[in-house]
Amino acid sequence: MKNLGRTIRRETWYILFLVPGVLLFAFAVIAPFVAGVRYSFTNWDGVSRKLSYIGLDNYVNAFQDADLWTVLGNTFKYAIILTILVNVVAILLALLLDSYLPMRNLFRTVFFLPGVISVVLAGFIWSYNYSQGFPKLLSSFGLDVTSPLGNPDQALIGLIIIAVWQGVGTPMIIYIAGLQNIPVELTESARIDGAGPFRVFRSVTLPLLGPSVTINMLLVLTGSLKVFDLVYVTTNGGPGFATEVISTFIYKNAFSSFKAGYGMALSMIFFVILVVVTVVQVSIFRKREVEV
Amino acid sequence: MNKKLSFGLSFALMTALLSACGGGNDGGSASQTPSASGSNSPATESASAPAAEPSEPVTISFMHFKSDVTDGIAKIIEQFEAENPNITVDVQPVKYDDYGTLLKTKLASGDIVDVFTLNAGSTTKLYHDGGYLEDLTDLEFMKNFDPGVLAEQATDGRNYIMPLNAGPIAVFYNKKIFADLGLDIPTTYDALMESAQKIKDAGKTPFALGWKDGWTLGMWLSRDFPSNTVLIDGQTDFFDKLETGQAKFADNPAAHTVISHALDLFKFGNKDQLGVDYNGAVDLFAREEAAMMYMGTWPLADIQKKNPELYESGMGYFPYPFSNDPSLNKLEFNPDASLAVNSNSENKEAAFKFLAFMASKAGGDAWVENTNTLSYVKGASADIAPAVTELQPYFDNGHLYNSQVFITTTIDWNTQFTQYVQKVFFNKATPEDIIKDLDDWVAKNHK
Repeated sequence: MKNLGRTIRRETWYILFLVPGVLLFAFAVIAPFVAGVRYSFTNWDGVSRKLSYIGLDNYVNAFQDADLWTVLGNTFKYAIILTILVNVVAILLALLLDSYLPMRNLFRTVFFLPGVISVVLAGFIWSYNYSQGFPKLLSSFGLDVTSPLGNPDQALIGLIIIAVWQGVGTPMIIYIAGLQNIPVELTESARIDGAGPFRVFRSVTLPLLGPSVTINMLLVLTGSLKVFDLVYVTTNGGPGFATEVISTFIYKNAFSSFKAGYGMALSMIFFVILVVVTVVQVSIFRKREVEV
Repeated sequence: MNKKLSFGLSFALMTALLSACGGGNDGGSASQTPSASGSNSPATESASAPAAEPSEPVTISFMHFKSDVTDGIAKIIEQFEAENPNITVDVQPVKYDDYGTLLKTKLASGDIVDVFTLNAGSTTKLYHDGGYLEDLTDLEFMKNFDPGVLAEQATDGRNYIMPLNAGPIAVFYNKKIFADLGLDIPTTYDALMESAQKIKDAGKTPFALGWKDGWTLGMWLSRDFPSNTVLIDGQTDFFDKLETGQAKFADNPAAHTVISHALDLFKFGNKDQLGVDYNGAVDLFAREEAAMMYMGTWPLADIQKKNPELYESGMGYFPYPFSNDPSLNKLEFNPDASLAVNSNSENKEAAFKFLAFMASKAGGDAWVENTNTLSYVKGASADIAPAVTELQPYFDNGHLYNSQVFITTTIDWNTQFTQYVQKVFFNKATPEDIIKDLDDWVAKNHK
């Protein structure tokens, strides 16, 4: 007993190092979150100093809100297509840039660069490209194109192209690192056993890339589910509701429509969705990983 | 040296990491965006400054949404500071789209902005209900304004905001294109569309539309719709009833009218109507590719820069004919920014001095000269651009109206309508569908 007490006293100084982090997390994440939960049960308009509790009305409204389902549909469509595209492109680029290519460091930098610019800037560059650059360029070839962002059928694809262009860098680096961790003996022996390059990739490289795939899928998917800045600066949800995603929808409700309480309720619903998606995804991919 | 550098670097990295953690916590990404820009506001300085002694130097913070004329306003402030050496004005211009969010966040978090701009009507009422606005009704400088204007901008019979500027919203047109095609200035809606057809047949773009920016379409819709609702269909209490849930868009013929008008404009607009933004539309007009543009006076300075010839003599301005009754198609003349004083301000005295300056003839003239919009101050000059002088007969004869006073509801139906109507453009929904959607949406939002 005395021993335990001494151990505790001797080890407590470790906690000191935890304090700043815990405090920061408590004040920057937990406290606003708890306050947010409280507001989600009120009809607060975002300005007034008075608010009244309306129970679960916000949540009931949300589930009856046809727009919310459209918006969730858009969000998942965007996130899933983007996750698949980014990962496929990133793996291909990583394979290419991990091989003995002349000037591969230069190429790595080039493909990584778009990720360094801010999303806002990328959004502006691309909306300009779409509305001015490409139409003018292609008109000299006799083609008449308009900005995909102005057409509800193409707007989401237009956004995904921007996001892929910008988002492929980081996953690519992670994949390159993953590829370099794979012992050469394994691929070499597979080749000696008569496996072609495709077979080597499918049976050796890809399974061993498992951890990288997991982390990249997770990062890109949760990141793209939360997309806000790109949509906000390029289409702001339009045309119609074609690119309205959950974050811009929450923002509009909470701020433009003066329904902070309802916006909070939507945030909470979205938070639950994110947690569920992440847990499910991690459990699926962890099972498929192979240890080296 | 090296050690210092690496320490500095790791510190910078640390801060970057920490802020990244704060940014990505959960679904509340929306609620964090504004706080980032609002956190290091200079307003806190003035809040903690000692209470206003007229002789002591004070700093008042002034936040406004006329960011398109930031330089012009800076010049006006210079003039004010020269006359009042004890008062420093800390100006914070904010883009109109983000203004409401930022102001709301600042006020709700206890940050005191001494003076800020507001739009008359429902926004002012919201901030008044929140208890943020000082009552200005009995102050001396309010006498410099027309009682009619003051009455129009009053909330429950009291003035919490001081009218600042106003401007017409009408249709700019290219005189050369009109002359070449032998077109007269249309005074009815049908005539406007006939002219548009002729312009289109001649291979030009009739209307420059920058509808990628939601506000450009919304601005037109929030004027065409109430005008038709109240003046043509006589539904004077539509918006009152909308607030309490007694009126439906389905029972308002103007809803169909405005959708068909929107389709007309869409048809006669530049190609890629929803891909071109406000600046792109102004460009089209300034390059003389488009013949008409429905807009306020804001792009004038821009057009002057891009095409001085057009600005000086090549363009005119006519009221937008929302109906086929020429006697009703008056000039839309709307208040823009109004000034409010924070009721929690510790520098009210200085803030009132600032308002008094803006309400004086000198302030009004400075406003007109520097911002290219009209001032409400009695006797201030009205000479802002050659194109606008064409509207003089409407001012002289009082053929002005303000469709915004019809909108008495605090429900944000306009944003919703603007977004829904875009579905009709691309045949994603019929007018009946979106009117029903709109009613469903309003049903959940009335008080």
